[in-house]
Amino acid sequence: MKKIVLLCVAGMSTSLLVTKMQKAAKKADFPCEIAAYGVSELSNVIPSADVVLLGPQVRYMLSKLKKEYPDKKIEAIDIQTYGMVDGEKALKQAREIMGC
Amino acid sequence: MVKRLLNKLERSWGVKNMQGKELETTLFEIIAGVGSARSLYIEAIQAARGKDMDKANQLLKEGQDAFDKGHRFHADLMRDVSSDEHEQVLKSDAWVMLLMHAEDQLMSAEAFGILAEEFISLYQIMLDKGVL
Repeated sequence: MKKIVLLCVAGMSTSLLVTKMQKAAKKADFPCEIAAYGVSELSNVIPSADVVLLGPQVRYMLSKLKKEYPDKKIEAIDIQTYGMVDGEKALKQAREIMGC
Repeated sequence: MVKRLLNKLERSWGVKNMQGKELETTLFEIIAGVGSARSLYIEAIQAARGKDMDKANQLLKEGQDAFDKGHRFHADLMRDVSSDEHEQVLKSDAWVMLLMHAEDQLMSAEAFGILAEEFISLYQIMLDKGVL
């Protein structure tokens, strides 16, 4: 099962987006694990993730994380998707990155 | 605790209350705008440290624009809740917490903006003196 990880400062706002993404995944019949974490936990959660999406507050970490985890698929969440709390679009972005 | 509040928020979404939907978008637009600003400010400081002052100032400007965008949503919300016709929209603790979180992000971004300007000036002085 694919694991999608969302990261922001405290994992608070992204956890609302996660709830919506989980609904979208259920609707699309796409079994996956989706969870939100604060960046303080990133070293524990990135290794097991299939895709990592960064919230707008922590986008500045993108290049550093890509260097530290060259094999991981890491991207920033599209800002409009985030602003509209669009779970379906966020899931679509994650699936496109994973290619499934 | 937070999880319980989030569940409560999720239930209030289920009502498909238009006001609730608008409020949700407004709060997330604040967080998205000022959160981007915070990120851009940090990137601006990092660019200045890397001696790329043009990029630093460009990122600072982008940060300020993103901040203004997020702040405008907050100002609109303030205006709406202050009007005479306003009906209470923050009906649950979950909304109150999300609003607090949005305001917290806003304050954090504001402070980062001031500091980014100061840091860029400092790195500029160091660069001019040949010590960067």
